[in-house]
Amino acid sequence: MEYIKSSWKNITMNKARTVLTMLGIIIGISSVIAILSIGNGLKSDLTGSLDDMVGGAVTININTKKTPKTLKNDDLMVIADAIPIIRGVTPNVTQYGISYYRREMGTRIFGGNTSSACEFDKGFYSGKYYTQDDVDSGNDVCVMSQTSALLIFGSTDVQGLQFELTINETTRILTVVGVVRSDEAELERFREIVKSGDIDYFYADIYVPYSLLSDKYNLGKDEFTSFQIYPMPGQADEAAAKAKTLAENILDLRGQGAVAIQSYASLMEMYANVLDSVTMVIALVAAISLLVGGIGVMNIMTVTVTERTREIGIRKSLGARTSSILFQFLVESSMISLFAGFIGMILGFVFSSVLGKLAEIQAVVHASDVAMVVAISVFVGIFFGIYPARRAATLNPVDALRAE
Amino acid sequence: MDTQTQKTTALVQVTDISKIYNPGENEVRALDHVSLTINEGEFVAIIGQSGSGKSTLMNMLGCLDTPTSGTYMLHGVDVSHMTDDEQSDVRNREIGFIFQGFNLIQSLTAFENVELPLIYRKVPRRQRHQLAKAALEKVGLGKRMDHKPGELSGGQQQRVAIARAIAQAPPILLADEPTGNLDSASSRDIMNVIHSLYEEGRTVIIITHDPGIAAQAKRIITISDGHIIDDKINPSIEE
Ligand SMILES: Nc1ncnc2c1ncn2[C@@H]1O[C@H](COP(=O)(O)OP(=O)(O)O)[C@@H](O)[C@H]1O
Ligand SMILES: [Mg+2]
Repeated sequence: MEYIKSSWKNITMNKARTVLTMLGIIIGISSVIAILSIGNGLKSDLTGSLDDMVGGAVTININTKKTPKTLKNDDLMVIADAIPIIRGVTPNVTQYGISYYRREMGTRIFGGNTSSACEFDKGFYSGKYYTQDDVDSGNDVCVMSQTSALLIFGSTDVQGLQFELTINETTRILTVVGVVRSDEAELERFREIVKSGDIDYFYADIYVPYSLLSDKYNLGKDEFTSFQIYPMPGQADEAAAKAKTLAENILDLRGQGAVAIQSYASLMEMYANVLDSVTMVIALVAAISLLVGGIGVMNIMTVTVTERTREIGIRKSLGARTSSILFQFLVESSMISLFAGFIGMILGFVFSSVLGKLAEIQAVVHASDVAMVVAISVFVGIFFGIYPARRAATLNPVDALRAE
Repeated sequence: MDTQTQKTTALVQVTDISKIYNPGENEVRALDHVSLTINEGEFVAIIGQSGSGKSTLMNMLGCLDTPTSGTYMLHGVDVSHMTDDEQSDVRNREIGFIFQGFNLIQSLTAFENVELPLIYRKVPRRQRHQLAKAALEKVGLGKRMDHKPGELSGGQQQRVAIARAIAQAPPILLADEPTGNLDSASSRDIMNVIHSLYEEGRTVIIITHDPGIAAQAKRIITISDGHIIDDKINPSIEE
């Protein structure tokens, strides 16, 4: 207790010097805390399961770099039939084109089969989804949401209407067979947008039989490298895993990692890689600043010992043992670095929560991180304090008393 | 306690002690085969010219330094060949130092300075506070306990140092030129305090080059060039 009290006195007597000494440790510790809490936040963000994904659809990709093999629509039907916890499987073909109905409108075209109706859980405003017959014959039909109807036609009552769709210079006339309900608020927002005429930055989304794209627009064949499954609620992870295995079996690609579930899991892997390299850089910064900070502590303690040689002599003449002098100076150096550690920790929290806000990651701080900071600080204080402290403790009392 | 042994065992028994600085080329024989016995309750002055070896002798007597040769028995224990920590413990238990330059720690209050030897002796807090307070009151500084040395006069600082030396009641008070930095009024003052401590039964060894100070002691040892050249009962004091 006496040691802490007297150390505190000595530390606060020379505030500017102490703060400068602490700078390295403050930087080191705050970067450690920042990476740790952002890393933790990222991890807890990414451990959400596939069920939390919007729409509940899971995309499965065949890696074209690893295999030239592709799936046919019939294969997808097999997968849909074989796995009872899957509501449907559809190819996943996306194209960009231009719709024309009194004016042009940029359009995304999603080619699928009848299972892609699972995409819409709000039900139909009018009409119905395209049929198996439409898929089999590649009919010129499409389904769109109320908002997309607004964008193309300027109205939501468009069932049965026809418009021109141009993709890569092929133009055909499509009939709207169904209009899917949109969110009311969303719809209102789009009414305003369409009224203002400011539609250049938007796309209309339309859903067509994949065969329309492959056969009539001559965009590829019945060969898919990507498909979507619609799992039963709450069984997304299992369904995706089964679909992946089955696809591998069908293509005879077991164990080659050529089929991948595109999900948070793979996103997480990507994030984790980025995070790892960022962590490396920051860890290096932290290590260097802690080293510099530690040397600063050593330096300041050496100066302190020199300045207080006479005090050490007095203490020894009064009966201080080597160990009490050693301890006194170690307490002092540890307190400097511990104090710096706390400041660094607070700065680190502030830093990571600001960064977290920018990157929309909830920074998470574990008690173990705090414990680690305390441990690192005390270690730095003791490790770099031990040399000057030993020098002080082993001073000859006669020589020390003669100092100044 | 056996009074017989107390009488027969000398408190300080120095036998044939030498201290050589810089052995080899420029060697200085600060002490040259010095022998000396001091009994409990004595008031001894060690007098000599500057450079005669007084401080070196005081360092030996105070266990601050070890002799090059010879032995030093303190309370019947050989302290001349101890480790640093053992010597620290002996200093803490046996000796109260009063230095010419006061040697107070500037960042601590008078009270905290007086507390120090008690802390190193591991005296419990409450008792420590009582002892430190009593010692400061004894030297007449009961009202200045929370002052830093810088806020006190030279005489007052030396009194704090005396309080620190006597706080844990060591058998020996060792004073090296205690009045060397003080004006004559303060000097008288300090000598009065030292006198009263002697009267209480403490052994006082005072090192000085001032014959006026030495004349107040009961026994005067004169040292010159590292040798004791005279050791006599003070003739001016009636027993
Ligand atoms: N640490 C030392 N190293 C070398 N010589 C010393 C040292 N301390 C004292 N001396 C020498 O020893 C002699 C006695 O010194 P000291 O005991 O301080 O004398 P006094 O206290 O009587 O003035 C002097 O010649 C001094 O120069
Ligand atoms: Mg001297």
